[in-house]
Amino acid sequence: MTVTLTAPAVAPPAAAGPRRRRRTLSPTLLAFVLVPLLVETFWVFWPAIQGVYLSFTSWDGVSPATVVGVGNYVELLGDPTFGRALLDTVLWLVLFGGLSALGGLGMALLLLKDRRGVGFYRAALFTPVVFSLVATALIWQAIYQPDGLVNTILGALGLDSWQHSWLADANTSLYAVIVPALWRQIGYIMVLYLAGLKGIDPTLYEAATVDGANKWQQFTRITLPQLSSVNSVVLSVIIIDSLRSFDVVWALTRGGPYHSSELLSTYMYSTAFQSLRLGYASALAVVIFVLAFGVILTYLVRAFRDADA
Amino acid sequence: MTTTGFSRRNFLAGLGAVGAATALGGCVTSTGSSASGGSATGPVTVQSNLSAPAAKAAMQALIDAFNKKGGAQASLNTVASETFRTQLPTYLTSSNPPDVMTWYAGSVARSYADKGLLLDVSDVWTGVTGYSDALKQLSTDNGKQIFIPINYYFWGCFYRKSNFAKWGVQEPTTWAEFLQVCETIKSKGVTPIGLGADNSTPWVASGWFDYLNIRINGANYHRELLAGQHSFTDPQVHKVFDQWKTALPYFDPKGTALSFQDATTNLLQGRTGLMLIGTFLLDTTPKEDVDDISFFRFPVIDPSVPVAEEAPTDGFFASSRTKRVQPTKDFLKYLTTVEAQEAYLKASSGSSLPANPAAKDAGTALITKGKDMLNKAADLTQFFNRDSSDALQPTADTALIKFIQHPEQIDSILTEWQTNAKKIWAS
Repeated sequence: MTVTLTAPAVAPPAAAGPRRRRRTLSPTLLAFVLVPLLVETFWVFWPAIQGVYLSFTSWDGVSPATVVGVGNYVELLGDPTFGRALLDTVLWLVLFGGLSALGGLGMALLLLKDRRGVGFYRAALFTPVVFSLVATALIWQAIYQPDGLVNTILGALGLDSWQHSWLADANTSLYAVIVPALWRQIGYIMVLYLAGLKGIDPTLYEAATVDGANKWQQFTRITLPQLSSVNSVVLSVIIIDSLRSFDVVWALTRGGPYHSSELLSTYMYSTAFQSLRLGYASALAVVIFVLAFGVILTYLVRAFRDADA
Repeated sequence: MTTTGFSRRNFLAGLGAVGAATALGGCVTSTGSSASGGSATGPVTVQSNLSAPAAKAAMQALIDAFNKKGGAQASLNTVASETFRTQLPTYLTSSNPPDVMTWYAGSVARSYADKGLLLDVSDVWTGVTGYSDALKQLSTDNGKQIFIPINYYFWGCFYRKSNFAKWGVQEPTTWAEFLQVCETIKSKGVTPIGLGADNSTPWVASGWFDYLNIRINGANYHRELLAGQHSFTDPQVHKVFDQWKTALPYFDPKGTALSFQDATTNLLQGRTGLMLIGTFLLDTTPKEDVDDISFFRFPVIDPSVPVAEEAPTDGFFASSRTKRVQPTKDFLKYLTTVEAQEAYLKASSGSSLPANPAAKDAGTALITKGKDMLNKAADLTQFFNRDSSDALQPTADTALIKFIQHPEQIDSILTEWQTNAKKIWAS
């Protein structure tokens, strides 16, 4: 209030009107800032802070929580299932992330040129993106059944010894789960790359052809550097999608059999809602948050520095 | 003014109210004991996890019949069973809980009662006649009744009569005879023992553990083990798995890749010989096949151990925080009547037995045989998760599926099981 009262005295009378208006925040504007902040605080920040608090407690969801200090984190260090889940998550990041980037780029290059029917193939590859991952998982569950499509085809090819209970075998479950996730992700990444490739100036290739550059040289010297901005988008999409992967794994294997396809996200969910150890699950959630935040933050900082340079 | 009914100001005020409401409800960790909110009038809310179409229709029929009587009214809210299971602690600790909830009798109900979350329904029980002492005991915690059972079912080794006749095998009663039957079925080119314990229904494997343990070590040891009074690394538990190993070669090698529904189909189509399962397999059995289905009692292993059977009991409990105590009790009282239980069984697939002995069951040969088996049993158990807790079930799933796939690793499996179970018992 003092500001608005003293303002006219200091400023020349003519300027008083506009200056006063500038100094007083309109209540509508204030509401637009404060109300979302309030909502955000109670729906996002408060639960997040409470999650961190819970990670220092032992809580079954019914009795009052008891504080156990860093007990949950100490337990994490010696928990073989956590180790397995961490390793699987890294594996998932490398395989799912790597293959979807390579596959997406490959498909985009393949389907870049406007030939007859290319639109059909583009649409076909993009179709899985439209389905929810849970629906995708249900389809693949049928495909992986002991009497499902995969085993039937292997049998028809005379490869009976390759037939497998894909999802029930601890050696294959994780890889079997990655395939449907990839099946969907490749179409998505392809669309991002297609957009990037379309944006490259064709005269660059014409000049390169005149200079006698072959296809490989054109790809490494023109295409890849021109795609750098798309690459950073793709990389962030892949990292975020990998770390939040949950639905397809949960729908297909629930992390089993005996934790062989366990990701950090599925382990957190089953610890919280099946074993009802919400304190320990919160500690897992904090670890996932730190990992995701760490990876994304280091990456983004680097990406922005590169962009500024 | 009518045109500005939804003004920006109203919208903002609404947002603010939502934020404030969240602030009030945001304390997830608070488990205050005083009930606030909730109205003393209005219908009794019944939260049900019976989401299968037949069971849901049966519940609705029950509620409609109750409402038609006049007096207290009830309304049904059906929740998908997986959601229900994970949300149940939240329902019970909420300040405005559903009045009545479906759940299981025994240890799982008592664990909530011990925390003061369940309504004392002893006076509902006082007027009830004819219920067995065992059922009453199962519904009792610290001398007070906290649960109203409405039906129960049984587990057994189910098979097709026509197939057993074709293969020339009889119902076995001892373990040696059981293995002999498996051997004969195998010689006919059929997988003897079906199992449906994939990632969606891994708990089916616990039926084998339960039965082997109650046949070898007895029902009391079994319950004590599940309550944490013994270790899974005990030699007694090891004996259970040694016994299991003798039957393992007859198990369907794809058993851990199938849901129990798929495994039921295999049994019905004669690809497997028999299956240890509950009567709920009838829910997915085509009508024309039902008469061909029979079962035999899980074989006796040690004749000196009193024979116990698994008879999981389903029913209802009420929240101690309900504001509609009398209407809730009226509704629960109605559930114990012959009329209500017969109405429910008629609308469902009829595969369970009514808790009220005066109520008529489906009357089929199979149900009569099952009832007879339970009446002869020296003791009744519920099921792994009901005799222990839902939280312990995942530890069993991990251990048992690993055992079925890698029986040679049994020592490390039991050690790991004990480690995981200890964390559950400690929390």
